[in-house]
Amino acid sequence: MASHMHTHDTGRLTGATTHPIQRRYPIEDLPPAGGLFLFFNFLEDSAIMAIAAKFMQQGADTTAQATQESEQHIERELTGSAILCEALIREGVELLFGYPGGAIMPFYDALTSYPALHHVLVRHEQAAAHAADGYSRATSKAGVCVATSGPCATNLVTGLATAFMDSIPLVAITGQVASHFIGRDAFQETDVIGVTQPITKHNFLVRSAAEVADVVHEAFRVALSGRPGPVLIDIPKDVLIGKANYRPSATLTSAEQMSATQPAVLSEYVVAQAAQLIAQAQRPLILAGHGIILGNAYDELRAFAEKTSIPVVTTLLGLSAFSDTHPLHIGMPGMHGPAHVNRAIGDSDLIIGVGMRFDDRVTGKVTGFAPNAKIIHIDIDPSEMHKVKIATLPIVSDAKVALAALTEAVAINNSHAWLGEIRSWETETRERQENIKHDEEYPNPTSILNAIYNATDGDAIIVSDVGQNQMWTARFYQWTRQNSHITSGGLGTMGFALPAAMGVKMGVPDAPVWAIAGDGGIQMNIQELATLRQEGVAVKVAIMNNGYLGMVRQWQQFFHSRNYSETPMTGPDYTLLAAAYGLTGIRVTRRDEVEGAVKRAMETEGTVILDFVIEAEANVYPMVAPGSAITSMIEETESV
Amino acid sequence: MSTAIERSGQMGIPQGTEQAHTLVVLINDRTGAVDRVIGLLRRRRANTQTIILGRSTQPEMVRLTVVVDDAQVSIDQLAEQLRKIIDVVQVTNLAAHDAVTRELALVKINATGPQIQEILEHGQRFSAHIVDVSPETVTLEITGSTHAIEQLLEQVTPYGVREIARSGSIALARGNK
Repeated sequence: MASHMHTHDTGRLTGATTHPIQRRYPIEDLPPAGGLFLFFNFLEDSAIMAIAAKFMQQGADTTAQATQESEQHIERELTGSAILCEALIREGVELLFGYPGGAIMPFYDALTSYPALHHVLVRHEQAAAHAADGYSRATSKAGVCVATSGPCATNLVTGLATAFMDSIPLVAITGQVASHFIGRDAFQETDVIGVTQPITKHNFLVRSAAEVADVVHEAFRVALSGRPGPVLIDIPKDVLIGKANYRPSATLTSAEQMSATQPAVLSEYVVAQAAQLIAQAQRPLILAGHGIILGNAYDELRAFAEKTSIPVVTTLLGLSAFSDTHPLHIGMPGMHGPAHVNRAIGDSDLIIGVGMRFDDRVTGKVTGFAPNAKIIHIDIDPSEMHKVKIATLPIVSDAKVALAALTEAVAINNSHAWLGEIRSWETETRERQENIKHDEEYPNPTSILNAIYNATDGDAIIVSDVGQNQMWTARFYQWTRQNSHITSGGLGTMGFALPAAMGVKMGVPDAPVWAIAGDGGIQMNIQELATLRQEGVAVKVAIMNNGYLGMVRQWQQFFHSRNYSETPMTGPDYTLLAAAYGLTGIRVTRRDEVEGAVKRAMETEGTVILDFVIEAEANVYPMVAPGSAITSMIEETESV
Repeated sequence: MSTAIERSGQMGIPQGTEQAHTLVVLINDRTGAVDRVIGLLRRRRANTQTIILGRSTQPEMVRLTVVVDDAQVSIDQLAEQLRKIIDVVQVTNLAAHDAVTRELALVKINATGPQIQEILEHGQRFSAHIVDVSPETVTLEITGSTHAIEQLLEQVTPYGVREIARSGSIALARGNK
């Protein structure tokens, strides 16, 4: 289309009426640069040259853009690998995390011709999946990871399962042995389609180069639409090498496909039912989950809560969906939730669960969870309805749509006496806790988390690992920045924090990014320090180092008579380790050094590791014993 | 055959409310699509009784008929899980009174001399017929509801049943449904 515009304008500038070429060739068939060549042919008069030069400059700019646009309609013969790159670019992909190898090599060969695709060479494929996952959580785009066949593809498995449990849109691309080798136990052959079936939303085996573009766009649509999730594309080597005609505009991108579907509207009946349940409730609670963040429903949640004055509980993956400092926010539920939140759930007469799935770490013993409450369950996934708790009113909907509709339908309620009651329980617990004496010498989780919050003015994105560090971070960091809490909630994947933080930082380079891990989990993907160094990415790493697999040790203390079986562990000297990778490491052993060390980490360029030596047997309180009702909690006492 | 499954959630569902449900699942015939459906039945702990895979009227699709024993709410949940599979085009839960359900069975029974005539008579009451006779055995073919097949089996058991091959149930909705 652009070339048409150019030839037309050129004609006017030079006073020429019609150029023969214009008549002889349909404009669409001209090469992209055709407009400019024609332009030169007409430049005879030097007076016109000056004007023309300026025009050309503008023309060149628009041509670049227009060329891209017109190229969408041009058919070219390309290899499967090149089509893959082109389709990824059309999907808006800028960043890939991956690792080359035999079957995927044709793709890596094509990759150097596409500088728009920045490939990050991780040091282990698991990290590629976690980094793509972190990138996705921070940017709301689909993350992309690449691996070759066999062991490299199986190394993605933990990352895919992590993303699957937490509904993260990922597109994983794996090389596969050539089609004629499949099923023959070829070198580095694994049935990746079979292996990843239960942990992907969908997976594809691409049969020909001609199929590549269609599959890529469908994969992104599946990953991003509805309840998001990871999708894997397995591509045999011969398909990557093989050629096919490629015309970009022949397939709609995922965004184009999704914009064609109308957002579902809630039925008036359902909205009225919900409004009635809310009007009747004396002790209502909102349980806000990951769906608020995934569905970008922050404003709708706040508006709904404020209009109804219903207290808000945020689940682990719902943290930072609703500001901790909001007067209606009461905390996190479940196994390590504060007592007043779990007590409130126990006493509630209406639970409005939005974008959450009543995970067992939230409910504890299901029959003991909210035994007096009716339940309005809002989730985009119909299979979540009645899965754990039978909902009084199931609403299958996007959180944003549902909350907006409910906000409009409900009556204004300026306050619930109920909130005051919950606050009084909170104060009671706090006063009880204040009387317990603690060792003030060691750095403790609260001092570390507060120091990070203060040093970053609350602007940091925090990526936690799994275990005690995760629960301390969830509980004691103040979540005021939207979508600032990133963790592996469903799968509980140790080793997640460091690679995921790398993906987060590369997706949101302007935000300070902190990875918080224990001395166990950090060693599970420690090799990514090399990637961080090579990419020059600055992730600040806080290790809560207690010389134990702390959460397992805590369970052993509570439920296995302190039989510390295989939980004491040693680690490297992290200052030396950091130096070995060309990074900065700081060891912090005293409480009064915490703030200074965090500040120094922020001021130091590049990735910095802070090794905080914390109290060896510190516990996460309170705790609900597995299998118990959440209202029966183990609280901290002097004598534990 | 069916025992109640203890579930992690939904503990409010009373025991003994399970019954046979026939799910008809239309699936795009693409790599791994059928595995995904079967895998899901295992993963979600569906109490699966029979599974039949066959072609449908659409050439690009296969038709899977699954009989699952469970409570209604669990079946609805299972159907929603199945609908989430990208290549699953349609899931229909056919209620027993709204569907024609048939199963085929081949039954090899010990029989000599006059017993053959007796077995034939038993079979005739169920529209079964003899498809193979050897000096020591007779093989009956019966098509009918699962209940009819079980009744016939009960009657021929005293003769000694050597082997049974059962197809599992297929079903169609009645009338225009």
